[in-house]
Amino acid sequence: MATYNSATNAPEEPPKGLLRRHVLFRTDHKTIGLRYLWLALLSVFVGMILSLVMRIQLVWPGVAMPLFSGFGSTPERYAALTLLHGSLMVLMVLTAAPQAGFGNYLLPIQIGARDMAFPTLNMLAFWTTVTSLIGITTSFFFRPNAGITVWAAGVALFCAAALANALNFSVTVMDLRTRGMTLPRLPLTVWAWFINALLGMLIFSILLAACVYLLADRVLGTHFFSSAAFLSSAPQYPQEHGLPAVWQRLFWFFAQAQVYVAMLPCFGITAHLLSTFSRKPVLAHRAVVLALCAVGLFGFCVWGQHMFAIGMNPYSPLAFSLLASALGLPASILLMSWLGTLWNGKIHLTTAMLFALGFVSLFLAGGISGLFLAQHDLTRAADGDDFIIGHFHLVMGVAATFALLGALFFWFPKMFGCRLDEGLGKIHFWLTFAGVYCVFMPMHWLGLIPHLRVSPDSPLVAAVAADSAIRSFVTVATLVTIASQAIFVVNLVWSLLGREQAEAENPWRATTLEWSLPSPPRLENFVAAEPAVYRGAYEFGVPGLVEDFLPQHLPSTAPELRAQPQRGGGESVAPARQAAEAS
Amino acid sequence: MPGTREIQEIEIIIEDIGGGGGTAPPAGGDGGDGDKDRGRRPEPPSARRYYTAIALAIVSILVFFMALASAFLVRETANDWIPVHLPAVIWVNTIVLMASSATMELARKRLARGDAVGFRTLWQVTTALGIFFLAGQLVAWRELIAQGVYVASNPASSFFYIFTAAHGLHVLGGVCALLYVLLRAFEKTSLSRALAAEVTSFYWHFMDGLWIFLLALLHLGK
Repeated sequence: MATYNSATNAPEEPPKGLLRRHVLFRTDHKTIGLRYLWLALLSVFVGMILSLVMRIQLVWPGVAMPLFSGFGSTPERYAALTLLHGSLMVLMVLTAAPQAGFGNYLLPIQIGARDMAFPTLNMLAFWTTVTSLIGITTSFFFRPNAGITVWAAGVALFCAAALANALNFSVTVMDLRTRGMTLPRLPLTVWAWFINALLGMLIFSILLAACVYLLADRVLGTHFFSSAAFLSSAPQYPQEHGLPAVWQRLFWFFAQAQVYVAMLPCFGITAHLLSTFSRKPVLAHRAVVLALCAVGLFGFCVWGQHMFAIGMNPYSPLAFSLLASALGLPASILLMSWLGTLWNGKIHLTTAMLFALGFVSLFLAGGISGLFLAQHDLTRAADGDDFIIGHFHLVMGVAATFALLGALFFWFPKMFGCRLDEGLGKIHFWLTFAGVYCVFMPMHWLGLIPHLRVSPDSPLVAAVAADSAIRSFVTVATLVTIASQAIFVVNLVWSLLGREQAEAENPWRATTLEWSLPSPPRLENFVAAEPAVYRGAYEFGVPGLVEDFLPQHLPSTAPELRAQPQRGGGESVAPARQAAEAS
Repeated sequence: MPGTREIQEIEIIIEDIGGGGGTAPPAGGDGGDGDKDRGRRPEPPSARRYYTAIALAIVSILVFFMALASAFLVRETANDWIPVHLPAVIWVNTIVLMASSATMELARKRLARGDAVGFRTLWQVTTALGIFFLAGQLVAWRELIAQGVYVASNPASSFFYIFTAAHGLHVLGGVCALLYVLLRAFEKTSLSRALAAEVTSFYWHFMDGLWIFLLALLHLGK
């Protein structure tokens, strides 16, 4: 039995010196996690406003917009707008929030650790992320050529921070689990963060290498991605020179897997929420863990799927198609598990649960359109059009945001000691849910129409024109959806300002370790004694108890669990739970 | 299935008695990394995290250099490639780096025997050899510049400079770790000097092997 009080998870020595003690350089994982979340919240609003500007520009090109008219409306500006929207949303929101934000806050307390394995590294990674955010954002205000250099430097910094985070997360899960927290007993959220960290460690290294070459090309004048002859003569068939493909390969190796880096923690969060609010164990717990691993593994191998249009070895599209379609297998396992968990459950439709259900719906819708894109001949036709934009935003952007919002509503009491308002939350959910379908479903149709063989005077052709009714509808829907986020902001501010009474330790009657702590948890989480873990993470619907769940940290003989010392039968014990326990 | 629960819970309670901090107690063998941990000599969890971290960092750095190398392999097939003549001093540097790995192992043997003075001397030699390697790489750059071969002259020279610079920065980090092991007062911390030296040595030998790989690539590449 190791010495818990001395060295296990405690920081090596008390912070000394002005620098260490300053509030900006706090190394507590909860502080850092919350800071990542605030950073993501800021980025998501900037990113949303940018997308609105783009939609308005597309449909009503003449409209003068305040603030943006000063930049001049050149095509480069529009491209910069897209780039900034994309990098803010993908890096600062979808990568940082579910992993670095919620992960940092919750991972140590879910496995019973006092902090991350390397708190100082964690703090440094956060400030590197902030620097990278500043770099990426300010790139917009430079001239396009210098702007892209600044942007690439910002992305390189983000890679460094992401690598440090990934290292910290994986070491923490491997070595800092508390007594009894075996791998099968880890909550699915922790599994997802862990697999995600391992995946991130590989792909951000690759993006960093690509950024090194890109920066060398731009700053030192080298020719890694473009030969001098290629640039001066502009040959007719760029594929034959094969040089742009070098960048594409490195980039897509990262970027395809990046989709799964954004999604994996959301899978974990969704499974966790669905199980808690249907008061049932996760169906096929072990299969879900394997499916998460498979998503990570396949996701790492399908980079070529994005390059069907550049001309590659004729056999490789087939291989990539098969691999991409094979992703349907773990995706179906996840979906089956979610639906099976809901089946016959005592469903509590809290706002957090609604967002988790919204995630399932969006994932299903996006996943079905994804099956089309795994076919290489279809993708070649559809490359870069509305279908792709609709698919990608529905499954990656919006679905992940729903999981994030669900997580926020669920863990808000733990983080701040008060709940978000349920009524406002539900209005916000339904408006957003309807809104995103109105925005992104028509985009799928718009993408498909040009590939129909219709006569040029057909009404369908008019429907895809730049100023068509469908496109205006999409823009108006965007406006309404973004406006309804104001409800969320009001809810957030109101709850934060109005909190005075302490929330119960465990308002959702959940099983995992963080709910055994006061809300919000103290500085080193488990001050009095390290928790011991006695069972898997999803022991719901257990008969014969005072409550219908068994928390992970109480031994089965604990007096607070039972009114009378009588053990219940095993009727409702799901096979998955038995597998998790018996193994 | 009445009764099943009861048996399971008794099992679990027994498991918990045997559980060690941070490690998974033998829960009937889930496989995974729990098994590897058990085979290793028992380290307190606070120390084990450093082994895990350095192993993962090595994998990550390896992927980074593989990505760099993959671009080299693709790029050298283009028709604007003019091979670089590696300066002779590169071979001296290689020998210096390999020698530093050897002195490092000797130093760690001294430390294991409790010979702190011998450890210090040999560790200082290792650090000096590391700095010597970095200086030698700079000399190699100067020789190339004297021949008129710059970073942007040609893709081949660009790769030479980028590979040596990226590897050199990683070696510089290793030198910092060497100095840390040498200068840190380990008496006050839970981290022991032997552990720090061991973790540093993993990284240092990896840098050594990585340099051989990069050199082979640059030498044997077109």
